[in-house]
Amino acid sequence: MKNKVLMGLAAVAMVAFLSSCGKVPQAKIDATNVAIDSAKVAEASVYVPAEFAAVQDSMKAITAAVEVQKSKMFKNFKKIEVKLDETIAAAKKVQADAVAKKAEIKKEVETLMTDIKAVIEDNGKLFKKAPRGKEGAQVLEQMKTEMAAIDAAVVEGQGMYDKGAYMDALNKVKAAKENADKINGELKDAIAKVSGKKVVKK
Amino acid sequence: MRRYIKWLALIVGFAGFAGLIVFLLVKLTPSPPESEVELAMKAFSRANKDKADTYSTKLFNESRAAYDSAMANWKRENKKFLFFRNYEKVETFARLASKRAGQATTTSQINSSSLKISVKEKIDSVNKTVSGIDHIFGRYPLPSDSRKKVAKGNMLLKEAEVAYSKGQYVQANSKINEAEYLLTTVFNTELSDLKDYFKSLPVWKKWAQQAISESARNKSYAIVVDKFSKKCYIYLKGVKKFEFDAELGINWVGNKRRMGDKATPEGIYKVVNKFQGKQTEYYKSLSLDYPNARDMERFKSELSRGSLPAWAKIGGGIEIHGGGGKGVDWTEGCIALTNSEIDVLYDLAKVGTPVVIVGSVKDLSKVLENELLVNGNRGDN
Repeated sequence: MKNKVLMGLAAVAMVAFLSSCGKVPQAKIDATNVAIDSAKVAEASVYVPAEFAAVQDSMKAITAAVEVQKSKMFKNFKKIEVKLDETIAAAKKVQADAVAKKAEIKKEVETLMTDIKAVIEDNGKLFKKAPRGKEGAQVLEQMKTEMAAIDAAVVEGQGMYDKGAYMDALNKVKAAKENADKINGELKDAIAKVSGKKVVKK
Repeated sequence: MRRYIKWLALIVGFAGFAGLIVFLLVKLTPSPPESEVELAMKAFSRANKDKADTYSTKLFNESRAAYDSAMANWKRENKKFLFFRNYEKVETFARLASKRAGQATTTSQINSSSLKISVKEKIDSVNKTVSGIDHIFGRYPLPSDSRKKVAKGNMLLKEAEVAYSKGQYVQANSKINEAEYLLTTVFNTELSDLKDYFKSLPVWKKWAQQAISESARNKSYAIVVDKFSKKCYIYLKGVKKFEFDAELGINWVGNKRRMGDKATPEGIYKVVNKFQGKQTEYYKSLSLDYPNARDMERFKSELSRGSLPAWAKIGGGIEIHGGGGKGVDWTEGCIALTNSEIDVLYDLAKVGTPVVIVGSVKDLSKVLENELLVNGNRGDN
């Protein structure tokens, strides 16, 4: 009788041992997917694309590893659980990095916006002083049209900024700023030629 | 003792049987397609890193679809009982995903590299077009629409350069294509108009030469106004005596067609009146016989062809007058000189002095001094 009880206990222990590592860590998988989705919502694919791709690759590898274990008679998800913990941490870091990068780009756009508005204002003042010399009127007329195009680009860039598309806004405003700087330089050169002053180019 | 041996034999027998069962189970269980899927995953990841989703979209999407199918099949098979699983489809899809991802990577590298080169070439080419426009039309009264196109084109060019510098070749390509279209259209249209306008050059040269020859023959003065050079030349006995800067009508390119078009007429005229003081608004003036018979004929022809509206009038009152020196073309169609220059001309010219107004007395290539125009490459493209 005693032996039968011992054998029964041994069998239960065996089953418990075999089944203890055999459950898919679904809760952690879900948590990892949530973390990755949060990173996606934070536009990680736009602001930190390489980091985000690495996290996605990691999750792909985990999904495959889960199926590998499911294919086996004796399943063991211990290593996968460790991987999932690491991926959750990585996804959270990616999310934080994306938020930080987005804030950085946003700040860069704001600085550029302030700078370009100052250049546009300066161009307006310089334009009034610009020499209307022989045939200069046509050059000034073109500059005036270019300045209107720059104003339009700034408005467009502001619209992108308001929608939170900071990367697009950055490209737009950066291009507008370069054109505004070019006109600023040309106007200063033209005025300097008339006044005889030498322009120090920065 | 015998009882213990019996029990031991039973346990060993049971353990052996259980071991055999486990061995058979493990041996007969189909092995998962781990290595195939891992290879597919790595290939897909590399394609992703090489931006195959952008530069080889079709192959990349095919690879993704095959990989997703492999995983879906794997999950489906894993739900079946151990011995009934079949991973053949999974392996097939995984291999296909690897193959397509590899192709996508190669294609992406080639495409991004060639796009990079192509965009750079386009940026350089459009920059040359911008230089051409600046050089040829910088001081030319371009129509407002053309000016807007040039400004928009310049902005797009800059945006393309910014995108290119960030390695965003697809965006750069889209911007540069737009810029190229706008700027090339303006360049070609305006250059074509200019070339058309200069088709009258032989006639202009003939008129100017006739006036100079008459001046030599009659030992008298002749006035030649060159619109493109913005000059007023005064000849005596066929020899150039004076050269003044002239300011013209706002729309000085082209002949005067009707009243109010702010164009300076082209033709052979003569001084018909001289005014000064309160007789004229601009210090001193030499009134010309515009419209002459040729102008009238052309005006009537345009009216009858409908190229001018029925309400159009031919205009008049074209003069060479003072009040100039503003440095811009500002008149309604007259030729303005500075007061000191009109003083000189007023004393020399008499009623009947010939005045020839031409678009140019020089060839277009010389006027523009532009190699693009001399070669005619861009304009003819």
